[in-house]
Amino acid sequence: MRRSFLALCLAVLAGWPGIAAARVDIVATTTDLAAIARAVGGDDVTAVSLTSGAADPHFAAAKPSMIRRVFDADLLLSVGAELEVGWLPAVLPAARNPRVLPGRLGHLDLSTAVVLRDAPTGPVSRAMGHVHAAGNPHYWLDPRNGQLIAAAIAARLELMDPDNAAGYRSRLAAFTADLDQRIPVWRDKLAPLAGQPVIAYHESLVYLAAAFGFEIVDEVEPLPGVAPTAAHLSGLVATIRDRGVRLLIMEPFYERRSAAFLEDKTGIRAVVIPQSVGALPDVTTYPGLFDAIVAALAETGAI
Amino acid sequence: MVAGPFRRAAFGAVVAGAMVPASAGADELGDLKQALETAKQQMQEMEAAHRRQIEALEGRVRAVEQRSNAAANAAAAQPPAHAAKDHRHGSYSIGGLDLDLGVTADLAAGGSSVPNSILSGLQAADHDPNKNGFRLKSLEWIASGTVDPYFDAQATLALQIDAEGETKLELEEAFATTRGLPYGLQAKAGMYFTEFGRANTQHSHEWAFVDQSFVATRLLGPDGLRSPGARLSWLTPLPFFSEITVGVQNSDGETVFGFLSEENEELLTPAGGGEEEEEEEGGDKRQIRNLGDLLYSARWLNGFDLSDTVSMNIGFSGAVGPNDTDANADTFLLGSDIYIKWQPVSNERGFPFVSLQAEGILREFEFRGEDGDEDLEDYGFYTQALWGFRPGWVAGLRFGYADANDQDRFNGPFRDERTRLSPNITWYPSENSLLRLQYNRDWFDFDEDAGGDEDTADTIWVQFIWSLGAHAAHGF
Repeated sequence: MRRSFLALCLAVLAGWPGIAAARVDIVATTTDLAAIARAVGGDDVTAVSLTSGAADPHFAAAKPSMIRRVFDADLLLSVGAELEVGWLPAVLPAARNPRVLPGRLGHLDLSTAVVLRDAPTGPVSRAMGHVHAAGNPHYWLDPRNGQLIAAAIAARLELMDPDNAAGYRSRLAAFTADLDQRIPVWRDKLAPLAGQPVIAYHESLVYLAAAFGFEIVDEVEPLPGVAPTAAHLSGLVATIRDRGVRLLIMEPFYERRSAAFLEDKTGIRAVVIPQSVGALPDVTTYPGLFDAIVAALAETGAI
Repeated sequence: MVAGPFRRAAFGAVVAGAMVPASAGADELGDLKQALETAKQQMQEMEAAHRRQIEALEGRVRAVEQRSNAAANAAAAQPPAHAAKDHRHGSYSIGGLDLDLGVTADLAAGGSSVPNSILSGLQAADHDPNKNGFRLKSLEWIASGTVDPYFDAQATLALQIDAEGETKLELEEAFATTRGLPYGLQAKAGMYFTEFGRANTQHSHEWAFVDQSFVATRLLGPDGLRSPGARLSWLTPLPFFSEITVGVQNSDGETVFGFLSEENEELLTPAGGGEEEEEEEGGDKRQIRNLGDLLYSARWLNGFDLSDTVSMNIGFSGAVGPNDTDANADTFLLGSDIYIKWQPVSNERGFPFVSLQAEGILREFEFRGEDGDEDLEDYGFYTQALWGFRPGWVAGLRFGYADANDQDRFNGPFRDERTRLSPNITWYPSENSLLRLQYNRDWFDFDEDAGGDEDTADTIWVQFIWSLGAHAAHGF
């Protein structure tokens, strides 16, 4: 009896690191990064997101369950550029997992893998609203950046798990080729939108605009992260009329009153797009996100 | 400019053609046609040269883009050698140093139905507004950063203008925590708020109300329970968040109320409003002599998600240490706290939300005096609800109750039976400023016990908080 118990203990002890090494445990701050990590990592990884795709990643709450998840992680993927600044710095020290602290192999800030837009060139003041000093952090909304994100994740996984490097490389190649095929199709579908002036709700669509060639002339928010005011909305009415803007694009988690007001005053069409994987129940992959965005935009009568 | 010679040639040909006299014959017409053809041909060559040049430039742009993407990916693949810095809210690097600085000002003003002498008993915490009129409750200077790969550190200094109008400087906290201990362990050493309950570790600007709950003031001290020491905390491998913290701190000083604090006389105020003739009983009978004279504390904190939208914390805390009435007299603290927050997944800037928080604390103070021993038991609880009903707006309601035994012997603002109801409303223009309006209704005995005739108070406070520079992310 005692011997079999000892054997069991040894088996557990021996098996524990074995189980842990079998799959790289990835925790991502957003569903988009988790989805790309799953595409690149396949069965060699598990990848979960700390936030829901239906939530605004700026304003997540640092829940105790997040701390518990980061505690176990081998690799933490963050969007960076201060997107998670309101909550990740509260989670990281509490999770006391040295493997995923900044500067370690298990910490990958994907903003280092892409070229950020809108980095302020002059001094940054909070009078400008919620300005991200490093640049605009919504870069996952350009599918070409999705390819760069995937390449950076694959490169990091190859370093952490060299035994499965071939798998990471081949899945990365498949992911990249798939997007290479889809991007021209999406562009064709959105061709009528190219060159059109568009209003966004938040400064979050600059990468989407760059990918599909439309022009963002103003935002519903007067300053990034600042709630719309009556004065700003009436200014927008004038802008919409002067520029002939026919489309307002916004994320699902913002209030709809401002959009309804602008629709009523100007006849502009407000379109709610999923901004992340999981924002709608059937958007479960990164290419699927753009399928849904393109479908939502192509459906509008404005284009 | 590659196009220069072509452009000059074409221009010359056209000009030459135009200068031919009109009277010229058929030969001349042929010459002109020839010249025009030449000009057209040269123009086409020029265009082709331009196109080749543009294509070459485009190719170079693509190559550079690919290179920089590859470099970026390579950089992403390799962790940066020196970047060991957490990103905090608005980090400001000073001379390349890893140092975040922040300043938070907390100003209050208000008026009460009772005079300042009673108000100071109702609002006894160091950072409470405690007089009719204005008060700068605190001006906090926070410096934090990563020391090296092994430690994070933080120091908080608080300036305030007290009820007498004197500027007071205090060291609130100065501690370092470890970054890399294995097995879910984390150590902390320095001057810090004891991890006892939920409210004790919060700085005054983090309270959801203008004042500290009087329950915490009476049981953990007017300036919170804090002292130099060290603690070890363990995040257990249980499937949910479960953290056990064990600490040891000095039991003497101003901010270990109920232990060897000089402020224990508040607790030992004789009943009936008499002069503090029993001063010697709260005297300096004890100092830290050995390990048994230190303050020991423990906390067990658990966190769960009840659903995608509801999360909660439950904590249990205890502390034991000596008190100064006798060489062998001890003080015990027991506490329990709960926090539940509802927030829809698709929320706007964190709104709407509803949170409930409750905390109960019991203290047993072994009083050993010349005229008889007593075990003084003080207890109380508060519960508070916050409702973020639209972006930037929060309505709050707090209820507190505290009482104690042996009030025939020791009474006063720290021991009388007390009830308070505090509704308030807060507006956050941004996450770096807030305006708050609060009403306090108090029911109390200490004034009548001391021969006065007030037993209720109505007080209105307004509060204004602003924050400059770095601002730590908020925990749950």
